[in-house]
Amino acid sequence: MSAEFVPGLEGIIAARTEISLVDGANGRLVYRGYVIADLAEEMSFEEVAYLLWNGSLPKRAELDALTQELAGSRALTAPAMATLESLPADTDPMDVLRSVVSVQGVEHKLQKPTIPLAIHATASFPTILATFHRLTQGLKPVEPRADLGHAANYLYMLNGKEASPEIVQALNTYLVLLADHGMNASTFTARVIASTDSDLASCLVGAIGALKGPAHGGAPSAVMDQLEQIGTADNAEHWMREARKEKVRFMGFGHRVYRTYDPRAKILKALCQRLNPKFYELASKVEETALALLHEEHPERPQATNVEFYSAGVLQAIGLPTEYFPPTFAVSRVAGWSAHVLEQGSHNRLIRPQSEYIGPAPRKPLPLAER
Amino acid sequence: MTDRASVDLILVPDFSPGLEGVVAAETSISEVDGANGRLIYRGGYLIEDLAPVATFEEVAYLLWHGELPTNTELDALKHQMAACRNLTDHAQRTLESADPETNPMDILRTVVSAQGSTTLPTKPSLEEAVALTAIFPTIVAAAWRRSQRHEIVKPRSDLGHAANLLWMMDGKEPSADRTRWLELYLVLLADHGLNASTFAARVIASTGSDLCSSVVGAIGALKGPAHGGATFAARTMLDKIGSTKLAEKWLIDAHARNERFAGFGHRVYRTYDPRARILKELAADAAPELHRKADRTEEVALRILHEAHPERPNATNVDFWASVVLTGAGIPKALFTCVFATSRVAGWTAHVLESMEDLRIIRPASVWTGPEAGKQPLPLAKR
Repeated sequence: MSAEFVPGLEGIIAARTEISLVDGANGRLVYRGYVIADLAEEMSFEEVAYLLWNGSLPKRAELDALTQELAGSRALTAPAMATLESLPADTDPMDVLRSVVSVQGVEHKLQKPTIPLAIHATASFPTILATFHRLTQGLKPVEPRADLGHAANYLYMLNGKEASPEIVQALNTYLVLLADHGMNASTFTARVIASTDSDLASCLVGAIGALKGPAHGGAPSAVMDQLEQIGTADNAEHWMREARKEKVRFMGFGHRVYRTYDPRAKILKALCQRLNPKFYELASKVEETALALLHEEHPERPQATNVEFYSAGVLQAIGLPTEYFPPTFAVSRVAGWSAHVLEQGSHNRLIRPQSEYIGPAPRKPLPLAER
Repeated sequence: MTDRASVDLILVPDFSPGLEGVVAAETSISEVDGANGRLIYRGGYLIEDLAPVATFEEVAYLLWHGELPTNTELDALKHQMAACRNLTDHAQRTLESADPETNPMDILRTVVSAQGSTTLPTKPSLEEAVALTAIFPTIVAAAWRRSQRHEIVKPRSDLGHAANLLWMMDGKEPSADRTRWLELYLVLLADHGLNASTFAARVIASTGSDLCSSVVGAIGALKGPAHGGATFAARTMLDKIGSTKLAEKWLIDAHARNERFAGFGHRVYRTYDPRARILKELAADAAPELHRKADRTEEVALRILHEAHPERPNATNVDFWASVVLTGAGIPKALFTCVFATSRVAGWTAHVLESMEDLRIIRPASVWTGPEAGKQPLPLAKR
């Protein structure tokens, strides 16, 4: 074992996993053996969550049972509602999610993470976000509907009316695509917390905190902001050349793992073209320009478009406000987080790495009066 | 750029479960010198040199700034902390809406999250580290008071960190001794290298997230019985043992049942944990009766463990003696992990601030052990 410090633990194996494989060299994302492209437009989020938790796709009866259990777990506890009502309307929805998932998951006695608890937590994310969104709009929260699927119900609770099948399908595809992605920072956080034998809510709350970072889940809104600054497709090249001179980063490009086009981005790009032509016109031009400029600068780097770039267009088409992009990422990823927590628990060892001390050598403290 | 797969092969021929032995950060906040049984805090101070002379506030200042404070600096910090002891309205309401029976660590996790919520993302700052550290006793004491169906006691700005916690828990001013015992505990537990909760805080910070998110994640990690929950487990074991006379029989029976002795063993120390040594000495004063039982328990446990594994350095860990000292300081067992967090938040925040100097996302690799890629999904009707 190398005792050398590797910044960011890049290339250091932190776990064995059967949940997902990010095959960066070949540009493939694999859930439990299934390539993402084969799942994305065929499966419901519920089926994929089942797959991540159990290792196989559900049979009809299993899917029905899961659907029912999810629908039955959508209501929030009274303390969770009280927290939602007390948080100021301008609170970052990621902070809302972090706080309310924490209160929704409180317990009297320590419980081991289980699939039923994972289902319970996963079911609550859309309710938390939709309720807060309604409250901040001065609207009455909408009760969840048991007859709607996960994606459809989220949109129903946000808007107070059913979304079109096309929009539901788009959100569903997004949720399927983002549900897991190897040992990313938030999933790794969840596993570190799980490794102390802590409870599921603690793992999820930590993961939400990690996802909030702009270098992780915080990026989708950044993509939108940058596109807004660019304004029009005609302006793209000029704006972007100027931006590079000032070392401005292009949002939505580059990934530590993929060496080719992100397979999720490919699917989301096609969705954008269909559902959000205005966004697509600008974004595809920006993408083309960004890739060309980045290639000029670093021809050796595989500077591919990442998943955040076209996620922004899809989420916009669905009608989500920008500040709800990161927590909607969490609505999906909670399936993966909880699957990883369960896997960590099945062959657990406390994750406690070493550090290298770079401070001064031992010396004596001076008493306060002599400092 | 090197191909990723070959990087994996060069650097890590194998997988070290729990990242044992893997260096995940460079730090000047603290050093656990396991081989020599030394814990060094920032600035190069050995824990046994700091413990007799420094208050928690001084140690927190040291961990944040890299040097012990002068009188003026210490006064300024105390003022700043005293001014940050009140909850925001929404955090207060979140606290009051919790079922009083809720695990106090869950209340801490939730209320810290509510207290630290913001409109726009913030970068971790020293100011925020002070504010978050200052708020812990307020939440912990309120959780305790509510669990006892007592009115919440407001913080006092004229008391130090340790004394104010005891004040808010009991509603009366603590004795100098109890304050001193708690203070020493808070000093000893404030940091400890890359333990799981500190590492969780650093992983969260590595994404550019805010300080509150890091602290909330760290609370979640500390809650685990394999980490912060160990002090509670040690005290629970002492309770189960009953009387000093019964210790030997209980331990022999427990060992025969393959039960682990709570409060023994540590991944890093190969000798007696220096914090345990200091707490053991203190325990004789702080809780004489429990100390006698614990002393006998330790003697027998070490003997049994040594007989079973003569090659292992099965030393007493900090949780064992901490459980006795905290008892002497009047901290109920249910709050042990919360009080641990009340100390360690100084270290968590210091680590996050340190990591900001050279932020890089922590994203390790994993080994795929699942089915070969390319399985064709069957449609629902055919499964």
